[in-house]
Amino acid sequence: MSETQACVVVVEDEPQIRRFVCDALGKEGCASLQAATARAGLDAVAAGRADLVILDLGLPDMNGIDFIRDLRTWSPLPILILSARSAERDKIAALDAGADDYLCKPFGVGELLARVRALLRRHWHSGESMPRHQFGDVEVDLVRHVVSRGGAEIHLTQIEYRLLAVMLANRGKVLTHRHLMQEVWGPGYREQGHYLRIYVGRLRQKLELDPAQPQHILTETGVGYRFQP
Amino acid sequence: MGREAAGRGVSAVQAVPCARAMFTLFLLHIYDTRVICSGHGLAAMRTLLPSDRRGGRYLLAAALCVLTTLGAAPLRELLDLANIVMLFLLTVFVCAVRLGRGPAVMAAFFGVALFDFFFVPPQLSLAVADAQYLVTFAVMLAVGLITSHLAALLSERTEEAQAREQETRALYELARDLGGALAIAQVTDIARRFLGRLDMDVSLLIAEGGSEVFPFRQYGGRHLSELEQSFARSAYQRRSIVETDSLAGMGAAIVFLPLAAPAHVLGVLALAPQRDDVDELRQQRPLLEAVASLLAITLERLHYADAAQRGELQVAAERLRTSILSSLSHDLRTPLTTLVGLADTLVHRQPALPEGATETAGIIRDQARSMHHLLSNLLEMARLQAGNVTLNKEWQAFEEIVGSSTRLLATLLADRQLVIEVPRQLPLVCFDAVLLERVLCNLLENAVKYSPPGARIRLFARAGETALEVAVDNDGTGFPSDRIDQVFNLFARGEQEPAVAGTGLGLAICKAIIIAHGGTIVAENRPGGACVRFTLPLGTPPAVEEEVSA
Repeated sequence: MSETQACVVVVEDEPQIRRFVCDALGKEGCASLQAATARAGLDAVAAGRADLVILDLGLPDMNGIDFIRDLRTWSPLPILILSARSAERDKIAALDAGADDYLCKPFGVGELLARVRALLRRHWHSGESMPRHQFGDVEVDLVRHVVSRGGAEIHLTQIEYRLLAVMLANRGKVLTHRHLMQEVWGPGYREQGHYLRIYVGRLRQKLELDPAQPQHILTETGVGYRFQP
Repeated sequence: MGREAAGRGVSAVQAVPCARAMFTLFLLHIYDTRVICSGHGLAAMRTLLPSDRRGGRYLLAAALCVLTTLGAAPLRELLDLANIVMLFLLTVFVCAVRLGRGPAVMAAFFGVALFDFFFVPPQLSLAVADAQYLVTFAVMLAVGLITSHLAALLSERTEEAQAREQETRALYELARDLGGALAIAQVTDIARRFLGRLDMDVSLLIAEGGSEVFPFRQYGGRHLSELEQSFARSAYQRRSIVETDSLAGMGAAIVFLPLAAPAHVLGVLALAPQRDDVDELRQQRPLLEAVASLLAITLERLHYADAAQRGELQVAAERLRTSILSSLSHDLRTPLTTLVGLADTLVHRQPALPEGATETAGIIRDQARSMHHLLSNLLEMARLQAGNVTLNKEWQAFEEIVGSSTRLLATLLADRQLVIEVPRQLPLVCFDAVLLERVLCNLLENAVKYSPPGARIRLFARAGETALEVAVDNDGTGFPSDRIDQVFNLFARGEQEPAVAGTGLGLAICKAIIIAHGGTIVAENRPGGACVRFTLPLGTPPAVEEEVSA
């Protein structure tokens, strides 16, 4: 990894999984701290120096959601969750509690490292201002509120623009339906999920090459959306 | 004196019809009350006394009147006649209280006669010297009759109240016994014991559906004849009591009471009196109705207790199944995750392993992944087959799961030619995105599995009139035409010899998910390949307020 050497706290009760995760991180140039319990994990994070937490949701001593809530009261560190594919409800709860991303078991080294890199990059650049974004053939100027595609300006409605801005601000991060509804429409619309579906669809038609197979505004089925530059 | 007597005699003759009319009036009144009283089953039974004992009471009343006469005779010189009348009235009153109405009425008349004969001058004659004594007689008779009637009524009411109390206590005890009953057989026993005291044979018929002709299960009693069965059915269907005289005295059931609980009729109580007295049975109808309603309440309680217990069992079984599934899922997934991860670590090792070893590690990883896939399918099927899948339905765009499933299968689809024909303006559909994504993934995987590299795979969707129509087809050999109907069955495989890896779970899961959504799914062959079509019902999506500013 470029910049400084990152330190990742791996909270996972299965020693074999812990081992290969730490192995992969080591090859990527990350230092890793292993913790088999939630308590040990929190202690490791509290000791300082950590840049990222990888957390298995099924820990023996504490509910993963509680771990995240606990950690979020005193640390903004990015959290990557490891969970089973079918446990959408757990994922949503973890993301709403403050987790940044998730990875479904079983996963390969490649997938793991891609997520870790994205999260570390976000973490390190979190303080920087990003007035302009570019993805595919689309350019967004957040200062002038101008969106253009292939050089031609595209008209976005206010809500479409707000939705795009929230996604850009959380590049690479999974955003739950609930979170997006709250950010774009406000608390009164939390249960009106179909609004989000319609506006995401419109945004895709304006910005994606093939809206049926989007490359940037990705669907995380049953959970929410992820913007990928 | 003789003229005077003759004059008084005329008056006496005139007084008699008057007294007779009064007496008739009383008899009518007495008859009325008797009719009213007879409505109370046990009470009425108790007030009816054997005729020989009744005769004894009349004799006793007469004896009391004679005794009064004997007692008053010596006092004739000391007392005023008006006071002697009082003694007779007292006797009538005592008769009314102790011996009942009939003897008291008799005592009133007999007393008047004795008083006239022994005390009113001329004594030892029924003739009356002074006409004013006729008034005395009339008043004496009237007072006697009224007091006797009132006193008798009072004692009758007391007896009746006692009888009713006994009846209530008996019903209360029945209710208490029924309250402790835990099974229908026990309820039958209790009912038989209670009604057996009234000499009745009891059959409890519990409705259980079954045959149209006799939809009951019988508890207790002997086998019912066809006629009795039809009466029982009629009582059950009409929710009303059926009584029949035609079978009386044949030992057959002649009263059929529906056991009606608030919600529904639970069955019929069939009663066969062991004696031929139909009237007696009729008198006891209020009691029988009370028994029937107590039985109905008890049976309904048993019914609900049974249902609650069954529900509890079901919940426990469901909980067990869920916990087994989740622990299975965790225990099998963990080693597979390790296997995939460690094998992948070997594949990406720097410096790289010898070529053969890297390839082997890659195969191990891929096999572990497909094993995981199989495991997921098995668990999903187990969950779906349990029959109570809770769909997490939301209004959403079908297009979204097209994108997410093709992204999930990107590697698999890489060497196929994927054609997606999904119109941009499809209406929102209400479905469970995770499950529908599973359907699309399974169909696309199948399409890949049964088509050669480079083949065309088409995913097509359009909005029909009432349903969204989706089809996935692929170039290839298609489904074997003789078994095309069975491809959705569990563990059915397309080809006889499983040359292609798979379990035959995929389409079965698709079918379960689509059916749960209220849609349909069919497999068919088209020229040059196979096609699976499914539909999802279209509803009315919730309204959307458009933005005001453009």
